[in-house]
Order: sequence, then structure tokens, then C-alpha cells
Amino acid sequence: MPTYVYAVTGADHPLPLEGLDGVGDPPSALRALRTDKLVAVAGDAPAGLRAKRRDLMAHQGVLEALMREGATLPMRFGLVGADDEEVISALEREADTYRERLKELDGHVEYNLKAVRDEADLLREIMTDSREIRELNERTRTGDGGHDERVTLGELVAREVAERHRREAEELTERLAPAATRSSSGEVGAEQFLNLSFLVPRDGTEAFVAAVQREADRCGDFYTFTLTGPLPPYSFV
Amino acid sequence: MTLVQQSNATSSGGGSGNLYDVLELILDRGLVIDAFVRVSLVGIELLKIDVRVVVASVDTYLRFAEACNRLDLESGKQAPTQLPDLMGEMTENGAKGKSKGALSGAVEAFSESLQGKSDEKEEEPRKRPARKSTSSRRQAQRDEE
Repeated sequence: MPTYVYAVTGADHPLPLEGLDGVGDPPSALRALRTDKLVAVAGDAPAGLRAKRRDLMAHQGVLEALMREGATLPMRFGLVGADDEEVISALEREADTYRERLKELDGHVEYNLKAVRDEADLLREIMTDSREIRELNERTRTGDGGHDERVTLGELVAREVAERHRREAEELTERLAPAATRSSSGEVGAEQFLNLSFLVPRDGTEAFVAAVQREADRCGDFYTFTLTGPLPPYSFV
Repeated sequence: MTLVQQSNATSSGGGSGNLYDVLELILDRGLVIDAFVRVSLVGIELLKIDVRVVVASVDTYLRFAEACNRLDLESGKQAPTQLPDLMGEMTENGAKGKSKGALSGAVEAFSESLQGKSDEKEEEPRKRPARKSTSSRRQAQRDEE
């Protein structure tokens, strides 16, 4: 039977697997596959497993329980080995790499920050700063300008939006850097200008959240920050 | 100054709504072992195409042009004194609605389509992010003025 893998931990991890539900319906049981120095937290891979909400939650739930008790390398959702032997041989093959990463991540958690700026606020700023854009806007608004001018206006504005988003992301990243050990940026969704994950020492989480709050206050009402964590360090394995 | 703080996706209190904000982490980050296979992510791939924002297109340009044309320049800088408070609230709602419109909206629709009926009970508590007390902060800002 194929083996679903949730996480890799050190052999000394307390592994609180009791009462945890694995993926699948009914939930699959968890087991520890051990080598000398490492453990893969695994379970049977249910036939026809897909990324259903219940399964994503189960995967995430197992990782959260594990990370509370010790360093944990979270697996990406949905990875399945041929059988337990293949999982164990993968642990043996990569033992040095995994142990090194476990050491690096020990005592750390991930926080993910997404930031959105109100579009009208950004557009107002762009118009205030650019005479060319103001004039094009006036012409197209009053009907003097044609289709080409509207496209030109939109293109200029789109470029400004991208540039300002980039600068704001860069500035925020710099300002928050001292509160975290490392950061890793992700693809931004629509309207977001920032999607950044931080690796934060467990004993520094309060200071980190306070730093994010300060930045949210500094940016003002036209910004919405969404901070999620503590999370398993998905972005830092 | 709106900070929506969410604890981890599955632990008590947070509700499962936070799952949407960590979906890309669970699906795209995390450790990979080369020899392993990935379970089918049918639907998820579609989702990713949906959220990819095509910035350099005439459609986008025209949308920006229209947004500029509609923009009321006066409402920004020269608002009466009691307005910032109101605007704060509008922005909050607007921003939430908008961020839902694209990324999380797509994720939500997708997740709901995959959800069985049995999951519906879980839906109730999920939109309950622990909000940093923005109202008291706004109060503080008013007091300073």
C-alpha cells in the first residue's frame, strides 16, 4: 500500500500521534517510520486521495501538533511513496540534509503576511504625482481622448502601480527583517502587494507580531494586513 | 492600520477560514522527496491560472483608465475632519471584499466545490479572524486629533 508522508522529524521528537487524524475519509491512522536519527510521520495513502478541504485540514493539523512539540520539516501536501521501505530509504539517503535543516529550524515558526492597499488611494497618489497622468485622465474622462489615449493612460498607471507595489513591498520587507530570522516571498494574489513568509524564533513571536502591528499602524487605514501564524515552516525547508 | 491576525489554521478559535490564507503554503511549499508521487491536484491547477494576474494587457490598462476616470480626487486629501473615521471603515470592508474578489474568492469557490455536505458545519466558525482591536486604535487616533 502507498505511504502518505506528513513530516520528517528528529528521532528524539516526542511524536504526539495519539488522537490525530490523517488524510482520507474515514481518517487514516498515523505511524512513525524510523531510521537511526530521523522519523517520517506517515500513514496509509487512501485510494483516490485529492486535495479536499478535509484532507488539507488533516495534513495541516498533524503538522501543527508536531511543530508544537519539536522541530518538524513539513512535507508539501499530497506526497506519496510507493511503500514504507521507500520512505525509509529516502530518509536514509537524505539524512544529513534533513538533520541540518531540523537543526536550523529548531525553535522557529513561520508567519505569513499578506498586504493589500486600497486601490483608489493608490490611484489618487499616482495622479497627484504625475501631471501627464492627470492630463490624460482629464482628456479621457471628458470624452476628448480616444481609445488609444485610454490605453496609454492605463498603461502608465499600470506601470506606476507595479512600481509602487514593488517599492512598498521592498520597504516593508526591510523594516520587518530585524524581527525575523529569515524571510521568503511568495507570488502575490490580485491587489496584494506583499505575500511574505517569515521564519521567527518561537521566543520572538510577540515582538514580531508587535512589529507587524507597528507597520500596519504606520501604513494607515488604506492598508489591510493579514498575518497568519504560527505555522509549520513550509517556506523554509 | 488594519491588521487581521489569524492563528494557525486548525487550532481552537481560529476556525478553518485561515486555511485559505495558507493554501499556497500547504500546496506549493514544504518538503518534497524526489522519488515520491503527488496525488492529483485537479482543480488546483485551474485555480492557480485564475489567480495569476495579467498586468500587461489592454484589458488591464482599460480597467485602470476607467478606475482613474471614476476617481474622485477631492475625496482623498481634503476630507472633512470626521470623514477619516468613516473612510477607515469603508476601506476595511472594501479591502476585504476586494481581496475576496480575486484570490480568496477563487480559493473559496474552489474549496466549496470540493467540499462535501458533511463539511458544512465547519463553515460557521471559520470567518472569525481574531481582529486586532482596530476600533480602539481608531479611537486612540481620534483622541490625538
